[in-house]
Amino acid sequence: MSRFFATGSDSESEESSSADEITPKAPGATFKQSLLLSDDEEDTKRVVRSAKDKRFEELTNLIKTIRNAMKIRDMSKCLEEFEQLCRAFLKSKNIVDKEGVPPFYIRLLADLEDYLNQLWEDKEGKKKMNKNNAKALSTLRQKIRKYNRDFESEIAAYKENPQESADEEEEEKEPEDSGSSSDSEGEVSSKSFLKKKPEAPSEATKFLKSAKGSGDESSSSDEDDDDDDDEDWGSDQSGSSGETSDKEEGKTSSMSMLFLKKAQDTEKPGVRKEERKKKLKQKERIEEEAEEEGGEEAGGGWEKVKGGVPLVKEKPKMFAKGTEINTAVVVKKLNEILQARGKKGTDRAAQIELFHALAAIAAENNLGQGILVKIKFNIIASLYDYNPNLAAFMKPDMWKKCLDCIDELLDILFEHNNIFIGENIAEDSENLAVSDQPFRVRGCILTLVERMDEEFTKIMQNTDPHSQEYVDNLKDEGRVCGIVDRLLTYMENKGSTEEICRVYLRRIMHTYYKFDYKAHRRSLGLQGETKSEQDQEESEGEDSAVIMDRLCKFIYAKDRTDRIRTCAILCHIYHHALHSRWYQARDLMLMSHLQDNIQHADPPVQILYNRTMVQLGICAFRQGMIKDAHNALLDIQSSGRAKELLGQGLLMRNMQERNAEQEKIEKRRQVPFHMHINLELLECVYLVSAMLLEIPYMAAHEFDARRRMISKQFHHQLRVGERQPLLGPPESMREHVVAASKAMKMGDWRTCHSFIINEKMNSKVWDLFPEAQRVREMLVRKIQEESLRTYLFTYSSVYDSISMATLSEMFELEMPTVHSIISKMIINEELMASLDQPTQTVVMHRTEPTSLQNMALQLAEKLGNLVENNERVFDLKQGVYGGYFNRDQKGGYQQKQSYQRGMLNFTEVVSCFIC
Amino acid sequence: MASRETTVFGTINQTIVVLKIIKHYQEEGQGSEVVQGVLLGLVVDDRLEITNCFPFPQHTEDDADFDEVQYQMEMMRSLRHVNIDHLHVGWYQSTYYGSFVSRALLDSQFSYQHAIEESVVLIYDPIKTAQGSLSLKAYRLTPKLMEICKEKDFTPEGLKKANIGFEQMFEEVPIVIKNSHLINVLMWELEDKSTVADKHELLNLSSSNHLEKSLQLLMDRVDDMSQDIVKYNTYSRNLSKQQQQKHQYLQRRQQENAQRQSRGEPPLPEEDISKLFKPPQPPPRMDTLLIAGQINNYCQNVKEFTSQNLGKLFMAEALQGHN
Repeated sequence: MSRFFATGSDSESEESSSADEITPKAPGATFKQSLLLSDDEEDTKRVVRSAKDKRFEELTNLIKTIRNAMKIRDMSKCLEEFEQLCRAFLKSKNIVDKEGVPPFYIRLLADLEDYLNQLWEDKEGKKKMNKNNAKALSTLRQKIRKYNRDFESEIAAYKENPQESADEEEEEKEPEDSGSSSDSEGEVSSKSFLKKKPEAPSEATKFLKSAKGSGDESSSSDEDDDDDDDEDWGSDQSGSSGETSDKEEGKTSSMSMLFLKKAQDTEKPGVRKEERKKKLKQKERIEEEAEEEGGEEAGGGWEKVKGGVPLVKEKPKMFAKGTEINTAVVVKKLNEILQARGKKGTDRAAQIELFHALAAIAAENNLGQGILVKIKFNIIASLYDYNPNLAAFMKPDMWKKCLDCIDELLDILFEHNNIFIGENIAEDSENLAVSDQPFRVRGCILTLVERMDEEFTKIMQNTDPHSQEYVDNLKDEGRVCGIVDRLLTYMENKGSTEEICRVYLRRIMHTYYKFDYKAHRRSLGLQGETKSEQDQEESEGEDSAVIMDRLCKFIYAKDRTDRIRTCAILCHIYHHALHSRWYQARDLMLMSHLQDNIQHADPPVQILYNRTMVQLGICAFRQGMIKDAHNALLDIQSSGRAKELLGQGLLMRNMQERNAEQEKIEKRRQVPFHMHINLELLECVYLVSAMLLEIPYMAAHEFDARRRMISKQFHHQLRVGERQPLLGPPESMREHVVAASKAMKMGDWRTCHSFIINEKMNSKVWDLFPEAQRVREMLVRKIQEESLRTYLFTYSSVYDSISMATLSEMFELEMPTVHSIISKMIINEELMASLDQPTQTVVMHRTEPTSLQNMALQLAEKLGNLVENNERVFDLKQGVYGGYFNRDQKGGYQQKQSYQRGMLNFTEVVSCFIC
Repeated sequence: MASRETTVFGTINQTIVVLKIIKHYQEEGQGSEVVQGVLLGLVVDDRLEITNCFPFPQHTEDDADFDEVQYQMEMMRSLRHVNIDHLHVGWYQSTYYGSFVSRALLDSQFSYQHAIEESVVLIYDPIKTAQGSLSLKAYRLTPKLMEICKEKDFTPEGLKKANIGFEQMFEEVPIVIKNSHLINVLMWELEDKSTVADKHELLNLSSSNHLEKSLQLLMDRVDDMSQDIVKYNTYSRNLSKQQQQKHQYLQRRQQENAQRQSRGEPPLPEEDISKLFKPPQPPPRMDTLLIAGQINNYCQNVKEFTSQNLGKLFMAEALQGHN
């Protein structure tokens, strides 16, 4: 019943209040809905009703009853229904908020008010009314006055439209003749479809401009369709036509006309319905045959009525059977589909399907590569759009589709050299059709690939790293790299330098963290085991180092945005460090001066910087540069937030400090698991280097009051170890290092060695290095050397002289090494001794003060401070400020004297020790 | 009693007291831990005779509700039953390298002396005793210090007014250890029997350990002292600054008033200056005094030790030369 009314309202509202761009949707939906319900045999097209539809249907039903009540002047009924309507309207408030006030509602309000006013003025009629009715009339009148105040503007807009009633009258009159035309509906609508096609291109730009425009456009272009169809429906069911006529009736309050018309109408419905059903069935069949392509032509007509409703599958997207498919038509379709993009209620999956279908059609009809490229662009874009929020990641099938699509797109681009793509090609300067000129297509393949890369990262971030799924996902990395590679070759030919820089950075990002085992093996001079492997190696081409070098240098030279260059430098350093090219890495780091201003960079770059520093430190450690390793790792490790700083996880501790929003942002920054740096390895490297530095230092400065610790964290670990009430054999990596440190303190390098390098530590840490054996050898040597130094520092006071041969035997070092270490210590004045060449011994000078002497010296220093402070107090008292203190100066002086007497005692004692 | 207040010239200990104290420390005290107990005795003429003692029980965190007073009363009652002097005449405490001059000692000795005028504190130094010479000292607070403590006035001015230095805080009371003749006889006999080896402790030449410990403690105290002085320094600087401000303010007010007077206006009302300028909180100086006393104590200890050791060293050198 309501549907005709609704449709009618649709076209009207667009004419009257073109402001509501979305409203058409609602009635459209309702209309369709009721159609389906009335034609109950057709269950193929059943659609799930949305909340909006339901609510609006409720409203329309209520309005219908009100109108009926108005007709029979039943005021009490009218009042009752109106109250219900108000309630129903309140209930659908949230929908109304979204969609705007439905026009039919406004119309009712306006009509009702007019009607009531009329009744009110008609004194005669009022007198005739019974008491109940009169009372209801006055209440209703008051109520509606009050109520309508909220909708003043809308009602005014509605009333302003002078044509509306005339239109409706026309419509009312037409049904009969249009009925005949609708027999041949398929033809008519297809005709109308074609008819409106030509005007479409001119409107295309308008179309894009605004959704509002689109509403107007479609409604105006479909004007004739509308009329036909409206009449169709109207004649179909008498009730609805009656409804529409209510309006005039409201104004003219002439009931007779209406009833006359109704009488006319009522004869028809039965017959018409039959016809209608047949037609629809036919349509269905056609539709099924043509698989949504050709079949919709009939529907295309009537669905148009919805006025560009951005809805569901049945959207009129494909072409009529007979249509000549050319570029313009396809572009028009494409734009139509694009219209729906981003709108609420659009089925995104279906949209992607539509694009695919369109692409197929385009390919089928040989429309040329230009259009195909354009469609592909749109497919990929809508694939990205599939997830509405940023945090969610693509589903695997979507991802696969996306990869395929990009691959295909690249295929096309490679095959056809005459396609130009670019972001800055304006929509109207595109050339999609003319094949003798080069194609020009708007779109940026680089952006798409970048987005794809980001999606990949997102997928990896959101997959459990310990699952098989992660491995499966990771397998796609190859494809991603492949795509980036292909894009790179493409861009090298066609892109601008900026674009090349961007794509280079992508390539670098996929390369820098991977250890190049092949190059490593080659550098070691090992040939591949078998012939085939060797072949593979050769076919593999450049080392990653060479590639990195080439790409990075290009970026250094050409890039104008700081960010890309910074990232490239960091990746380059990382790559160098990963492959143990310590000096290159260090020099690059020092030359870049990144340390000075990295804190101004954005967090992802900072994370990259941290990763690079850590890698640099680990590299230094592998090369035996313990001090450099320690310095590089100090910043990261001392904060105790290494995990967070490297973007490898969030710290629990911060949970309460940050809100959900921040957490999301931080989560997005996380580095995917396969790029992680092993934190235990990092900590172990740091602790071991701290141990190698700190233990000899501690031994050398045992009595130094101003001794500073080199590594706070290492000391912390030591203290934790000391606090242990019962010392068992070490379990964790830290315990191993602490135990080793204790052994080293005693100069016992063998125990230290066994703690640092053993089965457990091998599996936990050392085996993670690519050159594990070499690192272990380096480490043993370092331990021996540092133990020797520690031993000398600790026990030099015990010896008068010590033979270097003994030392070399004790620490299993060669004589020259021992000699050089001791010489160095002597030169640095760390060890008060001299070398006796003929006997190969170290002769201690014993000039180091004993601990007691050290203490006495410290005490003397402290006393000096004390005296100084005391002097200051005394100065103050003797100062010129007022006479307050002068009075008691004697007492103060005495006190001072007494201190001094104490002081004399100290000095006596001290001098006693010194001599 | 009142006349005897300050006339405790000497204390006489019975051997049993000394032995009991030593035993108490040996059993319960270790390292820097301190043991305490109650001295019992009576006052005879101008001497205080300490005839017995009993230890305070060591109590841990667990029995916090342990009532010490109750325990002491019980103890004394029991001792009276066995006909032992049960007059409370003071308390004893062990010490670690002579570090006993502390606030806690001051407070408790003050309360003792406040309640029982003759009471003394016996300080037993186990470390010195272990080196071969019994070290037992009796101290009392000087009347001056008693007064200050009574007034609880530890501000710099208060101490200045009292004119007290660290030397005048404690007075040492000479100790005489008296035995019954029978015991003396026994002692002679024992001395004859004891072998030479037992006396070697006295000749121990090693010094560094003891000295290091003393120095370490000394240094800690000196650090404390420095801190206190710095605190005092800032205090006096603040005070003088404020004094100056106050002065300026007063002057300005005077000038203004003079002007007003010349104009015939009424003078500005006098405001409470102390409200305008709150004097800074003076740091308590008692702790400084105590630290000074402690430092002095350490120094005496070290001096004593070194002089003894030097003597021993010279002796040893002479011996070596002789050989």
